[in-house]
Amino acid sequence: MLSNKPNNEKVLKIFSSIRCLSKDQLPRYMEGRLTDVERHLVEQHLTDCDLCYDALQALEKQDNTDQYHDLTGKLQRYVQNSIQPVSHVHKVAQYTRKEKNKEHMLVYFWIAAFIGLGVGSVYVLRGHMRNQPPIRFMAASVPPVDSARENVATNVPVVTPTPAATHEVAATPVIAAKTETPLKPAVTPVHPDSAAIKKAAALKALQKKHVADSIHKQALLQKQADSLKKEAADKASQKDKDKTEDKKPDPKPETAAAPKEKEKAPDPEPAKRESTAINSDEYLYKAAMVYQQQGNLSEAIDRYRRIESVSSGKYVEMARYQLAICYRSKGQMGKARRMFKEVIRMDGSLKNSAQQALDGM
Amino acid sequence: MQQQLTNLSDKELISRARKQHDREAEGVLMDRYSHLLVAVTMPYLNNQSNLDPNVVFPALLQRLNASLKTQTIYKANEWILHIQKGYLGKPEKNTPFYPSRDGRDLLHIENTVDKAATNIIDRQDLIVRLEQALQRLNADDSALLTQFYLENKSFADLTASTGLSREKLRTQLKAAKGKLAKLFMNQGYAK
Repeated sequence: MLSNKPNNEKVLKIFSSIRCLSKDQLPRYMEGRLTDVERHLVEQHLTDCDLCYDALQALEKQDNTDQYHDLTGKLQRYVQNSIQPVSHVHKVAQYTRKEKNKEHMLVYFWIAAFIGLGVGSVYVLRGHMRNQPPIRFMAASVPPVDSARENVATNVPVVTPTPAATHEVAATPVIAAKTETPLKPAVTPVHPDSAAIKKAAALKALQKKHVADSIHKQALLQKQADSLKKEAADKASQKDKDKTEDKKPDPKPETAAAPKEKEKAPDPEPAKRESTAINSDEYLYKAAMVYQQQGNLSEAIDRYRRIESVSSGKYVEMARYQLAICYRSKGQMGKARRMFKEVIRMDGSLKNSAQQALDGM
Repeated sequence: MQQQLTNLSDKELISRARKQHDREAEGVLMDRYSHLLVAVTMPYLNNQSNLDPNVVFPALLQRLNASLKTQTIYKANEWILHIQKGYLGKPEKNTPFYPSRDGRDLLHIENTVDKAATNIIDRQDLIVRLEQALQRLNADDSALLTQFYLENKSFADLTASTGLSREKLRTQLKAAKGKLAKLFMNQGYAK
């Protein structure tokens, strides 16, 4: 058993892997300058390795090994050169080039960013300006400096009469309608005619130009109006009943004063129609609201109608909406519905509430 | 680094060159086999005058480099010889290297032997199985293997005793080893 053991171990040698011959082993083997053990290992490897055996045979056929040594040296140098690590200088150059590239990219980035920002801001500004036409419109409609100054000077008298005037003028048709049958026929010519109003306004404008002190005139006119009011009130009180008296203080003087009011009331409009358009609309609207709150729906409706026909912008929408509400409270559901629908069609700020009202009907 | 790399096995160098794109490892591998490559290529250079060593060797290295990244390499020496023969035999065609079944069997047994070196139980088992395989081998081959591997006889001794040439002797030894490997493997499968 013991004698067998070394033999047993040697069996493994058959299949033990041995490295290829090294540069100095090959010539030494050829020259027989190897130890027994080493030679045996080389021969074991030569049995398996075709490459080494072929190399051995090729070298043995060569007369001198100079070419072999020369070529081997060259090849090894070639391999060494090709795997040589990159020099430090080269590395530094590469690094600086990379950094420069990075900087360039950064500059490009910032340029692109600023251009983008500029284009974006111009776009946003244009969009903003496009979405605010009323401001531009108003700015454009503002008269030159002199007339503007004039406006400021005359603003007080101009503005003050407007509510009263519009009030009165607007009130006239309703009252006419109401008082037509019971009252005298003199009231009938008081019908609010926008063309007539305009004419009167033009006249008034002319007057204004001539008369610098409009406040005095206003006072005078008001006095006249008051006197006429008294007359009209006297006449009306004779025939009118108590319930109509509630509204008399307002509408009666108007009916009487109508001929003069016509000249006076709408007068500021043509002169500064554009600039005061919104103001007059607002007053008309407020007056209509007052009537509506007082329960005088037909008057309110009339004023709203007027706003709807004359003015523009948000007041039309608001007037229509209120009209619809008036109709609804009057029980004229068809008309109310139509009005709500129109408001919805206008697609303004009241669209949602109109829709809700319409749904609730 | 170079010193450390020269101590690594072919397998490790190849895996370094592949996984870490380590040019140095690749260079060490090429350097290790450069003298053999030169020796093997020299007969071609001498026989064919149109071959220029300044062209042949760089081209060969390039081919080796390309195939190193893509091919399965069990044994570097076989792979290098295959590429070299392919390049000099059919330069226009790039024949991929694929180890034979026998070669893989041999490699498998070699790996098993390597592993068993540190494990006594495995080693004993392996020895028993190898001896069994050796006994089943025909007498001539068995005797040749025994003389060469177990009795440490050199090529010269064997050629003198058998009257065979060195090349024939080597071929016989190689064939006997192949047969033994096959027997061993079959034994393994039978088990």
